[in-house]
Amino acid sequence: MATVELKGISKVYDGGVKAVNDANIIIQDREFVVLVGPSGCGKTTTLRMIAGLEDITEGELTIDGKLVNDVPPKDRDIAMVFQNYALYPHMTVYDNMAFGLKIRKFPKAEIDNRVREAAKILDIGMLLERKPKALSGGQRQRVAVGRAIVRQPKVFLFDEPLSNLDAKLRVQMRAEISALHNRLQATMIYVTHDQVEAMTMGDKIVVMKDGFIQQIGDPLGLYNFPINRFVAGFIGSPPMNFMDVQIAEEGGTLFAVEKNFRVAVTGRNIPLVKPYIGKNIIFGIRPEDLTFSDREAPGKSMKITVEVVEPLGAEIHLYMNTGAHQLVARVPTDHVYKVGDVASFIPNMDKAIFFDAETEKALLP
Amino acid sequence: MKHRAVKGRLLRLAGFFLPLAVLLVFLLFPFYWTFVTSVKPAAELYQARVTYWPAGFTWDSYRNLFGEFRFLKPMLSSLTVALSTTIVTLVVAVLAAYAFSRFEFKGKRIFMVLFLTNNMFPTVLLLIPLFTIMRRMGLLYTPSSLILAYTTFTIPFSIWLLSGYLNDLPSSLEEAAMVDGANRRQAFVKVILPVLVPGLVATGVYIFMQAWNEYTFAVMFTNERNRTIPVALKNLIGQLGVQWDLLTAGGIITIIPVCVMFFFAQKRLVEGLTAGAVKG
Repeated sequence: MATVELKGISKVYDGGVKAVNDANIIIQDREFVVLVGPSGCGKTTTLRMIAGLEDITEGELTIDGKLVNDVPPKDRDIAMVFQNYALYPHMTVYDNMAFGLKIRKFPKAEIDNRVREAAKILDIGMLLERKPKALSGGQRQRVAVGRAIVRQPKVFLFDEPLSNLDAKLRVQMRAEISALHNRLQATMIYVTHDQVEAMTMGDKIVVMKDGFIQQIGDPLGLYNFPINRFVAGFIGSPPMNFMDVQIAEEGGTLFAVEKNFRVAVTGRNIPLVKPYIGKNIIFGIRPEDLTFSDREAPGKSMKITVEVVEPLGAEIHLYMNTGAHQLVARVPTDHVYKVGDVASFIPNMDKAIFFDAETEKALLP
Repeated sequence: MKHRAVKGRLLRLAGFFLPLAVLLVFLLFPFYWTFVTSVKPAAELYQARVTYWPAGFTWDSYRNLFGEFRFLKPMLSSLTVALSTTIVTLVVAVLAAYAFSRFEFKGKRIFMVLFLTNNMFPTVLLLIPLFTIMRRMGLLYTPSSLILAYTTFTIPFSIWLLSGYLNDLPSSLEEAAMVDGANRRQAFVKVILPVLVPGLVATGVYIFMQAWNEYTFAVMFTNERNRTIPVALKNLIGQLGVQWDLLTAGGIITIIPVCVMFFFAQKRLVEGLTAGAVKG
């Protein structure tokens, strides 16, 4: 088990494309770290640099304090699960899992022990003699994970391992990988574009965009205190609502003023938005912080038109329009909403987050 | 209703199976004719009346072919040349194709285009320079001259073929092997090569046939001692007449190894290349 540290890691491709910029991440022993971001954000490149499959242009990568920039992948003592599984098609499941041990010249009995143990953990004992083409997607996924487990490596790397599975299987494997992490007590680095995977699995999440690390934090920290508009919009589903508003002061109260409504700023936000009086600012509010109100409340509510109603059973997602902005709200099922309804909604202003209109940085205490 | 079904079946017969049958006859008749000619007795062969089904039947031509005509010798020459060409080409081409498919280097595209244009040259154009080169090197009238000449054509083309197969293999296959503890050589030998077998077989069969059937170079670069099958057979066409019985018997013998090869290779040829390697 190991600590992995990235110090000022950058990757520039031959054409001059900068895929990763000055990445600094410390991955503690036994930690489950998720790199998340939209495609092209550099998360996979970062993972491949940790694996040794991609040269590091700049910076230092250490595993357990040892500089490994120029150590070939085979000597880094890492295991990787690929997005397309990359099972060896000409080998049986058993041989697929034993490959890494055979090549390291482990004794036969030890190999057999480890493969059968891993097969038991992953419940693929009955598939050992099959070839990969005779397996379903989920089974291939398990074999790929098994191939990593038998090695008992210092670090596990996962490159979007669930994106080829169907939705139901994905949820199941998500839980299994989390359970595996608890069981093996191993350092794991996991790349995904799916923020739900990141939130549900990670001890620590690294949000990336355009080659830059945006924010590193634990799931709830990122959710409640996103550092900028990108992180706020990326983490959470449905995403946070953003509205361009102006800050105005009237009778000692600060208001966020949109074309069609004005709501009073409250709580921790009052001192934060004070410097923005008379200026534009971005007003962010999460879908669950919008509450239906049966009457208008001046200075507190906003009038919206319902455009789409998505009843999910436990809750309803409402896509609405203020006249100037589209919003989504997550509401309980105790009220019947119809498309075209004009209703009042009260945002929980204590939970609102404001962003600087220029830098898009969050105004946090 | 029944009437319509019959009509439909007739239409299918006329529209699908009939053209197929015609095509099949067109393709197979030369083979049939060659075989039939080779087993006709000499008297029937050279009579004025054409018989489509032989009246008499004899293996004499085959006996003469291997006896008097000593056909085994050119067969062995051809086999040596074709096998050597295949092996040399495959070894060189698979390594080159791997480099072209997996690494970025200067001149990569230009090389690939050059390889292709190499195949557009009429072979006759290269005959004279190659002849001079072979003579200078002292290789003329040895099997090596043919092997060398053939590989100049088969290697570039095989690199194209094999790099096509390799490009279809995800590079995560050998990356997985390298993370698992293999170096690049081991990843290539233990993972890529076995998966590439269908491609190697297809390319190998192509190379073998090229070398097995080639005439122009063979007639220039060999002499009595090591002439290959096509040259030997051509010798049967003399100024005063054609020894049809020996020629056709030789033809039948020549296609047998190729047929056998295809028989064994076809399973490999149609086998899915990466079935099960990645999601599919």
